[in-house]
Amino acid sequence: MKGAAIKIEHLVKTFPDGTRALRDISFEVAPGEFLVIIGLSGSGKSTLMRCINRMIEPTSGKIYVDGVDITTLSQEEMRRLRRSMGMIFQQFNLVKRSSVLTNVLSGRLGYLRPTWALMNYFPRTEMNRALGNLARVGIPEKARTRADQLSGGQQQRVGIARALMQEPTLILADEPVASLDPATSHSVLRYVEELSKKDGITVLCSLHFLSLARRYGTRIIALKAGEVVFDGLPADIDERRFREIYGEDAVEVEIA
Amino acid sequence: MSQQVATAPPRVPARPRAWFQSGRFLLFLAGLLVIYAYGWQVTKINLPELVKGATFVRPFVRDLVRPDVLARHVEIQEAQVAVSIDPAVQPETLPLPTGPVVEPESRVTPVGSQLTVRGRGFQPNASGRLFWLNPIGNPQQVALIRTDAAGAFTETITVPDAFRGPEAGPRGAQQRILVRVETPVGPLRPSKTARIVFEKIIETVFLALMGTTIAVLAAVPLSFLGARNLMARNPVGTTIYYVTRTFFNIMRSIEPLILAIVFTVWVGLGPFAGVLALGLHSIAALGKLYSEQIESIDPGPIEAITATGASPLQVVRYAVVPQIVPPFIAFTIYRWDTNVRMSTVIGFVGGGGVGFVLQQYINLLQYRQAATAVWAITLVVAAMDYLSAVVREKVV
Repeated sequence: MKGAAIKIEHLVKTFPDGTRALRDISFEVAPGEFLVIIGLSGSGKSTLMRCINRMIEPTSGKIYVDGVDITTLSQEEMRRLRRSMGMIFQQFNLVKRSSVLTNVLSGRLGYLRPTWALMNYFPRTEMNRALGNLARVGIPEKARTRADQLSGGQQQRVGIARALMQEPTLILADEPVASLDPATSHSVLRYVEELSKKDGITVLCSLHFLSLARRYGTRIIALKAGEVVFDGLPADIDERRFREIYGEDAVEVEIA
Repeated sequence: MSQQVATAPPRVPARPRAWFQSGRFLLFLAGLLVIYAYGWQVTKINLPELVKGATFVRPFVRDLVRPDVLARHVEIQEAQVAVSIDPAVQPETLPLPTGPVVEPESRVTPVGSQLTVRGRGFQPNASGRLFWLNPIGNPQQVALIRTDAAGAFTETITVPDAFRGPEAGPRGAQQRILVRVETPVGPLRPSKTARIVFEKIIETVFLALMGTTIAVLAAVPLSFLGARNLMARNPVGTTIYYVTRTFFNIMRSIEPLILAIVFTVWVGLGPFAGVLALGLHSIAALGKLYSEQIESIDPGPIEAITATGASPLQVVRYAVVPQIVPPFIAFTIYRWDTNVRMSTVIGFVGGGGVGFVLQQYINLLQYRQAATAVWAITLVVAAMDYLSAVVREKVV
């Protein structure tokens, strides 16, 4: 499997209430890169992620995924393209009352015949794929458990398994560990890192902690008020850069 | 302003008065006193009556602990004898009795005289009643009797001044004495009351079921119109939202009892009126609960499943339905349970079900029969309550 290549040109997003979340953003991501996006809350990280799979419609600018300009695709074409873009969320966004297995299988819906899925029928191959992905994230025994019975770290791993069902070439991870404790954060990020290293999936991941960004990112982009203020290697972020991104009063918090 | 502050003498910090000495508290106390004094008056609270009236409620309470549930088949023996209350008039001639016999001391006896009545040939050691029949056959109980080991009895009665019928002539003086002895025979079986109450309690449960079902069918689509997060996106939607919510609020505030009265006038007495009343009220009650559930769904799973490339219909099936169906089921079962309780009251105004017979028993002072109905209602409501709790626990 080969990761997707992304090219963003002059991306702007202005919300109807006048908030300018993204102001002229341009960068490129090479296939298989683990790109970490950092920045304060409200700097536009989530908006940027959601523009790439068009859960939010960009106001202007171009987004190329493997050379295709996705901003001109129709809703139906976009839906098909989304199947190859996995997304992982801060709040996991699982259906709490459904079983873990159903949550994982729902990642495959875009590929299935609509009528089968509406009757809650999944072919055996898909069942096996789901169980395989659960095994991959280390919780095969939780398949029949209700999603809300799991711990935060386990729920996020179900979220990763759901994204894996899509056989993605790109994973958008929107603050995937912001609701987790430090130890669990590492375990979850290691699974994401493995997807990038082993399967060559391109990963865009927003993180709050610079220590995590340095540890996992192959490249870091920093956003501030909707603009890119840093684009480079993790090692290049020194004290001065840090203050530029987070403001003069910021103190770096280490995470084990 | 600033000068005033500057020239004001420094305040001596007074020791704060206790809270119960403050004028505001005393005023508050006086206000409370007025309110409760008036309340005591208008609600006509009369505590001595609780003690004085206790004797009246005693038969009811006593019968409450011995409901009419099981009974034996009752064998009835009757014997009549014709008498006259006017010496100038001969008593009627009745055919000779084949079974038990009643013999008054004298067959011609004036009103108000003492009369000794003997009987024989009845069941031994049985109790019965002695009636005086007027010329048109209306019985008036004048004594309770008890037969001896040989099946005979002797009872002295006072001849009552019975209604002589439309014709005051000689026919009016021809009256009768009737003795009826009832003996229970055979094994205990469910009594007639028990059978009626059972039938009516089933009717009550189904009345509630039908009312709830009608309500669900209407409330599910309406609840989407009454959900702010779906409707309040444009002026038309907002209008529909407010209209729906207003309908829910108005209908919910009309008691099912009042609706039942309206429907008994509309479709006649009986369970159908009760079904309509409970149904209409439940549409509003369920509609409000459903809409609030729709409003509180988590948008996270919707976003997540849309982001996997699922179609809009699949998103509804996998992200919306699992979030609303279990609570909908729980609310519906709870409503059914509530409706069973309500339908007993609806029966009082003619809406069918067990309440209807309960009211009849109370009006006829048949407290043992009423007790049967009361116990049946208690058992069924408690059982429904328990079952609905179990099911709700499982579903949610």
